[in-house]
Amino acid sequence: MAKKIQETDQSIAKKLGMGLLYLVLTIVAIFQIYPLVWLLMFSLKSNSEVFGLSPFALPEDPKWENYARVWTDGNINLYFFNSVWITLASVLLTVLLASFVTFAITRMHWKFNKLVLGLFMVGLMIPIHSALIPLFDFFLKLGLVDHPLSIILSYTAFNLPLTIMILLGFYYTLPREIEEAAVVDGCSVHRIFFQITLPMTSPVIATTAIINMIYNWNEFVFVNTFISSDKYKTLTVGIQNFIGQYLTDWGAIGATLMISIIPILIAFLILSNRIVEGIAAGSVKG
Amino acid sequence: MNKVMSNKLVIALYVLPALILIVALIYVPIILTGYYGLMDWNGIGAMTFIGLENYTELLQDAKFWQSAKHSFLLALFSSLSLIIYLLISLVLAGKIKGANLLRKIYLIPMLLSSVAIAQLWLKIYDPNNGILNSLLEVLGVENTPTWLADPDLVLYAIFVAILWQYAGFYIIIYYAALKGIPESLVEAAKIDGANPIQIAYKIKVPLIAGVIKVTIVLAIVGSLKYFDLIYVMTGGGPNGASEVIASYMYRQAFGSYNFGYGSAVAFFLLIITLIVTWLIRKLTASEDEVQY
Amino acid sequence: MKSKWYKVFMAFALIALLALAACGNDEEEAGSDSNSGGETEENESGSSEGEEKTIEFMHLWPEGSSKQHYEIVESIIDQYETDNPNVTVEVEILGNEQYKEKLKVLSTSNELPDVGMTWAAGFLEPYVSGNMFASLDDLLEGPLNDQFVPGTAEAYALEGTTYGLPLELNITPLYYNKAIFDEHGLEAPETLDEFKEVVKTLVDNGVTPIALGNKDRWTGSMWYMYLADRFGGPEVLTNAINRSGTFEDPALVEAAEEIKNLVEMDAFLKGFNGLGNDEAKGYFINEQAAMYLMGTWDLPEWTTNEDNPQEFRDSIEYMKFPTVEGGQGDIDSFVGGPGVGLFVAEDSDVQAEAKEFVSFFVEQWGQQAVTKAGVIPATKVDTEGTDLPQMYIDILNDLNDASNITLFADVQMSPSVAEVHLDMIQALFGDAATPEEFASEQEQALADEE
Repeated sequence: MAKKIQETDQSIAKKLGMGLLYLVLTIVAIFQIYPLVWLLMFSLKSNSEVFGLSPFALPEDPKWENYARVWTDGNINLYFFNSVWITLASVLLTVLLASFVTFAITRMHWKFNKLVLGLFMVGLMIPIHSALIPLFDFFLKLGLVDHPLSIILSYTAFNLPLTIMILLGFYYTLPREIEEAAVVDGCSVHRIFFQITLPMTSPVIATTAIINMIYNWNEFVFVNTFISSDKYKTLTVGIQNFIGQYLTDWGAIGATLMISIIPILIAFLILSNRIVEGIAAGSVKG
Repeated sequence: MNKVMSNKLVIALYVLPALILIVALIYVPIILTGYYGLMDWNGIGAMTFIGLENYTELLQDAKFWQSAKHSFLLALFSSLSLIIYLLISLVLAGKIKGANLLRKIYLIPMLLSSVAIAQLWLKIYDPNNGILNSLLEVLGVENTPTWLADPDLVLYAIFVAILWQYAGFYIIIYYAALKGIPESLVEAAKIDGANPIQIAYKIKVPLIAGVIKVTIVLAIVGSLKYFDLIYVMTGGGPNGASEVIASYMYRQAFGSYNFGYGSAVAFFLLIITLIVTWLIRKLTASEDEVQY
Repeated sequence: MKSKWYKVFMAFALIALLALAACGNDEEEAGSDSNSGGETEENESGSSEGEEKTIEFMHLWPEGSSKQHYEIVESIIDQYETDNPNVTVEVEILGNEQYKEKLKVLSTSNELPDVGMTWAAGFLEPYVSGNMFASLDDLLEGPLNDQFVPGTAEAYALEGTTYGLPLELNITPLYYNKAIFDEHGLEAPETLDEFKEVVKTLVDNGVTPIALGNKDRWTGSMWYMYLADRFGGPEVLTNAINRSGTFEDPALVEAAEEIKNLVEMDAFLKGFNGLGNDEAKGYFINEQAAMYLMGTWDLPEWTTNEDNPQEFRDSIEYMKFPTVEGGQGDIDSFVGGPGVGLFVAEDSDVQAEAKEFVSFFVEQWGQQAVTKAGVIPATKVDTEGTDLPQMYIDILNDLNDASNITLFADVQMSPSVAEVHLDMIQALFGDAATPEEFASEQEQALADEE
């Protein structure tokens, strides 16, 4: 009897707790989604509205023409495609190379693995602006200035350390039994890597891919410095197009940001599902 | 078995491409930065070798140490905020209704570029028309703070924006790690009568300890070289109250044309970061684990 | 074992490899492109006059933010290419900040474009001493002789040689909102005491007197410069900077003192040290502040910019900065000076063509800038027969009658001293430095540089 009362007490407390939890979660969610709504309104305003009125205010006379103007004056149509393929190529290169390295460091046996790992970690610590001038000089000597390879390689090199670090945390956590069994069965290293380890780590791969994708998509210091031809510039440069010597067109910047967020939002929604799906498909008997 | 997994050729094949890239694009610049740090150079004319003069100047540069203090504060705040991110991730990775949708919403700010985030927070902190002060006025506060113009508040005001910006980054890492925990372990604990909090604390968190350690390093290293939002939102001001090491370096190199001195700042930052990382490793290392 | 996701990943990997292979081919093309500076140079020197030449031109007027500027530039280039069929002008456009950053990186590798934009005096100095910019004296003595407003091209001269030719000339009027003034029965003040009365009345009535975005620091510097001029006359600040005087001159300290007084009176927008110029201007445009001190580059905002309500534009007038009783400066002395100018790179392999292009550009720009883009050029303007808003005509007259134009302090100074000056301006406004500290820190920085 006493036990039963205790149980109902518990379930009431539990329901109350859940209610409270959802309340907090919803409030946080509003905080997180509001920026997108804000950006949309921002993109429909003129400069005087952007700076004068409360940011809560709806645009008085929505300036949809901001979008049309951005599309033509901002060269967005041209930059859009560059952003897509350069981001895609860099992300794949980074994730693949990082997986190779992490696999070799955590799964294979060799003398210098800690040293090499240390070498990669130091790469995390350099602020890009201090590398800018030496890098430009380097690409100039290679004849890669104003060539997309210069940004793809830079993105890859500068994101490799981060990607390896994230992968590393997971590789250490993952059980090794399957790989060990495969070795006993006489599998080659390549087969183990491509057919066992990669699929098994797909949630992390999706995670690092998302992170890399966002970083590369939004990057502009390298593009601005290494690329001078319009035909290779990316979307973030489109934003620069509205920052003038004396006048900055904030509504148009908002519209550019809005346009540029759509593809990445879609890619993000797809990839973020993979984090869960990947687990289900490659899951390991603990 | 060891034979397959210690094939030198395969190791070279797997490691060398990335290593070459890193050495060429990161180590060469690092070495050159160290070299420029020994020079008196405005970036345009001829260089003059001045030995360690930039470094001795740096050690006595009050503005540098002020910015270093701010960078360390940011590192401290970022690592503390990891606890909040971890809690949110534990909830999201749990079996609650709507977790899938919530998770996606929570990560949205992460997609925005720094340009957008800076503009958003400038609108929030605007002393007269801003969201925050409008709210405070409704609540009856009379002398509303000027936030980004107040040297005592500006640093913390920006920290809030940075921590918000990076929330998604860490949540997605923790989330993926938590989803990687074998279901059977959690089930077993449930059968033993553990409640969700116990499961989280005793089973899930220890299982992803490796990932947590990595995020601590990332948070601290990332904070020490942080630049973006600070540069756009305040430019390090007012009166250096929000200056951090990287923004100070940028202003020296690209603003004052002291490229030699700026390089010395960058190189010193690298050394500081290396020491701090080494300390974290010492502090968090446990016998059974892991060399990261 | 193989998941769907895994297949997708491998497919992407394949695409990436193909993409990289494809750009391997590109590389050769682009490689030979970017080498044209080096390899074809040799060919060119031995070749005939009709050889194809390419002038690289970098400017900072993107189509998005500066459409009229951009269009004039495009039409000038078109015209030039038509007149000179063997010359192609290759344009790269960047936003303001990125432009400065890129110019800096390019110069470290001696890769400046053939023609680009520079600012006067202090900005140009390191490039000149690094031997990056070509002398343009031959243009000034030749085709452009007597074309410039006196004092403008001189701002780009170092030791008697001119390295840049200005495109803009700006002064800094104090704009005010007549509607707000009328509402409170105020007249445009002529002396500092009257000005302070105006400020006081506005503050008492809950109106923000002055919009100021001092996060950018050069905005506050203009206020200081005017006060320095009004207290000590037109030479005192310039002399402190060129070291024939000192920054600890009583007039310069007094001017700093006056800034403090204004700050204490709440003359400036609340939180000005955390606000950028764009935000501050927003307050003025939304009639939340009565006055705004800014360069004439903003004239289109008060005259032709359709984004701003007609009613607002009609109520904006300007005044000359008030004088100080007993001070040395007169009301016709202005803060301002030439804005961006064109340079030709010293090691350009098409230097002759580049100079010819610059000369052509300056002339064409002078004819079109004010009518088409509302920019006052540094070349002499003939307003007869043009249909300009009244405010432009008044300003152009004031320019003619100006007793002096003091070049913006941060432009006069070398980059590193300018940083100190700007930081001290923010500190002075933010009550983090006393007028004496303000003066002595800058004196120190200037003395260190000697």
